[in-house]
Amino acid sequence: MTKHRQRSVVDIGTGANRVLSQRQSRRKFLVKAGGALAAGAFGAVPLRGWAADPINIGALYPTTGSMAQIGVGCVAAAKLAAEMVNDAGGIKSLGGAKLNLIISDVQSDTTVTRTETDRLITGNKLSAILTPFARASQFAQAQLRMSRLVSDRPKVAVIFENTAFGTSTSNGLREQATAEGVEIVLFEPYSAGFTDASPLINKVKSSGANALFSVSYLNDLILIVRTVKQVGLDVAINGGSGGFVIPDFYKNVGKLAEGLQGVAHWNHDMDANAEKVNVEYKKRTGEFLFEYAGGLVAQTFMIADALERAGSPDPQKVRDAISSLDVSSGYAAMCPGGKVKFGPDGKNIHGHPVGVQWQNGDLASVFPNEDKRAPLIKS
Amino acid sequence: MLETVAQAVINGLLIGGIYALVSIGVTLIFGVVKIVNFAQGEFVMIGMYISFYLATQFGIDPIVSLVVSMPVLFVIGVLVQHFLIRRVLGPNDMPQIFLTFALSLLLLNLALMLFTANYRTVHTSYSDEAFHLAGLYIPVAKLIAFVVAMGLSAALWVFLHTTDLGKAMRAAAQNRDVATLMGINPNRVFCVALGVALALAGAAGSLLMPFYSAYPFVGQVFVLMAFVAVVLGTLGNVMGALIASLMMGIAESLGIQFVGADSGLIVVFAMLLLTLAFKPNGLGGGRVR
Repeated sequence: MTKHRQRSVVDIGTGANRVLSQRQSRRKFLVKAGGALAAGAFGAVPLRGWAADPINIGALYPTTGSMAQIGVGCVAAAKLAAEMVNDAGGIKSLGGAKLNLIISDVQSDTTVTRTETDRLITGNKLSAILTPFARASQFAQAQLRMSRLVSDRPKVAVIFENTAFGTSTSNGLREQATAEGVEIVLFEPYSAGFTDASPLINKVKSSGANALFSVSYLNDLILIVRTVKQVGLDVAINGGSGGFVIPDFYKNVGKLAEGLQGVAHWNHDMDANAEKVNVEYKKRTGEFLFEYAGGLVAQTFMIADALERAGSPDPQKVRDAISSLDVSSGYAAMCPGGKVKFGPDGKNIHGHPVGVQWQNGDLASVFPNEDKRAPLIKS
Repeated sequence: MLETVAQAVINGLLIGGIYALVSIGVTLIFGVVKIVNFAQGEFVMIGMYISFYLATQFGIDPIVSLVVSMPVLFVIGVLVQHFLIRRVLGPNDMPQIFLTFALSLLLLNLALMLFTANYRTVHTSYSDEAFHLAGLYIPVAKLIAFVVAMGLSAALWVFLHTTDLGKAMRAAAQNRDVATLMGINPNRVFCVALGVALALAGAAGSLLMPFYSAYPFVGQVFVLMAFVAVVLGTLGNVMGALIASLMMGIAESLGIQFVGADSGLIVVFAMLLLTLAFKPNGLGGGRVR
C-alpha cells in the first residue's frame, strides 16, 4: 500500500537490481536526521548472488510541507553520501555492495512520520537508534557559556514557543543558568506563528536584558530579529539550533543576521573532510551544508563502516557493529570533537554541540575553543 | 509603565489595520453574497506572492505593487463569483461552504507546488526602520501599511455610500429580493463585491510584504483573526469589522504585554465572548451597513 511512495534514487548497483523487487524492499536501512535511526532486516535471504546485491537504506525526510526546506537538503546530502561510499568501491567486505537509497516523504506530518517509521521498523524486525551528536542538555550549556563570552554579567531574556520543543529546550536553559552564572530576567512562552513580534519584543525591552535567547522556528525568528532591529534594542541574540542555522535564515534576514549566534549539532568548517563535502554539496545545491544534512553524511559513513566490519548485511550484526564503532578519522568522524564512540545509552560519548556565529553570510564555528575556527565577533 | 502601555497600543493598532483589510473583505462578501469565504486568507497569500515576485524580478516596491495586486485580485474575484460561486447560490448552504473551503485547499496546495514551502522575504530600505519619539517607536513599514489600509477602508466607505453601484450593493445586502425587484442585477453586484473583497485581500498581502514573510500557509494566520473580527463587528457590517479589527489588535498586544506572550489570543477571545454575551449580534447591533 505504501510502496508507491518509495522510489529508488541511488541505484548504481550492478545493473541486475535496477528494479526494486518485493524481497529487496523488505531489507532496508533507515536513516533519520537528528537522532539517526537505522533499521534493516531480511526476510528469506536468497543465497544466490546476494553478496553483491545493493544494500537498501531507507531515508525518511519531509520533502513537502512546512519542513520541506530541511528535508530537501537532507535528501541531497543523503544522495551525495551514498554516492561517495559507492564511488569509493562500496562495502568491500560484502563484495563491493553498493548503498541504495530508498526515499520516503514524511510530509512534515508527525502522523505520517510515525506510520512510515513504524512500517519500516516493524516490517523489518529490528531497529537501532543512535545519536552521534550532542544531547539537549549540552546545547543549553553551550548557549549559556556563549552568553558569558559576550558579557561578564549576562542578563538573559528567554523567549520560547509554547510547544514541546520550545518548552523542553527553555526548561533546560533555566535549570542550568544559575550553575553557569547566568541570570535569566525574562522567561516567556509565546504562541508559535504570531502575526507580530512587537509586543513580545516590547516585553524583552522592559525586562532590561542584554542577551536574548529565542527558541523559535524560522518564521517567528525572522520577525523577532527584524523587530529587535526596528526597536533599536541592543541585545546579543542567540537563536539556538534548527531554523536558525540553515541557509534560509540568512536569505530572509540578510545583513541583520551578521553577528547573531547559535548552537548546532554540526558545522561545515569543522575539518578538511567536512569542507570537502561542503564544496561538493554547494556545487549541487548552491547552498552550504547545514547541520542536519552534514551530520547525515557522517552518519551514512558510520553505517558504511559498520557494514564493512560486520561483513554481513544482517541487521543484528550491523547493529552490533554500530555499537562498537570507534572512529577518530575519516568521514565517519566528521562531527564536533572529531571522534565517535557510542556509550551504553546509544549516544556518542565524545559528542558535543558547536557554537556558531553568522559571519559574512556563512556560519563560522566559534565555540568551544577546540572547535573554534573563527574568532567570536562581539557587537 | 505608561510608555509600555502606549507602545503596546501602538503595536496593536498597527497590526489591527492589516486585520481590518482581511476582515472587511470577509464581511463584505458575507453581507452582500451571504456566503462565508474560507479562502480569503489564501487571497492574501496570493497578494503577497505577487508583490514578492514584482519586487524580486522587477525591483518594484511592495507597497507600489498594490496597483498590480489589487486589480489582479479584483479580476480573480469576479471570475470566482461568475464561474464558481454563482453556481452554488441557493437555499442550501452546504455547497457554498464546501466550495470556498475546497478553494482554500486548492490554492494552498497549488502554492506549495509552485512556490515551495520556503519563506520569502522582501527587504526594502524602510523594512527595518522606525520613527523614534519620546521613548516610543513606530516601525515605518507598518505605519505605511496602516495608513494605506485606513485609506482603502475610507475609500470603500465612500464607494458604498455615494455611488449607485455601492448603494446597489448595500441594497442587495439589506434585502436581496427587494433589491432584485428594484432592478438590481444580483450577479453583477455579487461580482463587484467579490472583486472588491479580494482586491482588499490583495492589498493586505502587498502591505504585509515589507515586514512579513510570504509562505503558502500565511493566509491562515490572518484569516482566523479576520473571522473573529467579522463576528465581533456584526456579520456583514463593514464599519463594525474595521473597528473590531483595531480593537482586537490592541487587545492582543495588551494581552501579550500584561497577561503573557502565549495568552494574547485569550484576551481577544474573552472580548469576543463578552461581546456575544451582552450584544449577541456583535458590536454593530446586528445592522448591516
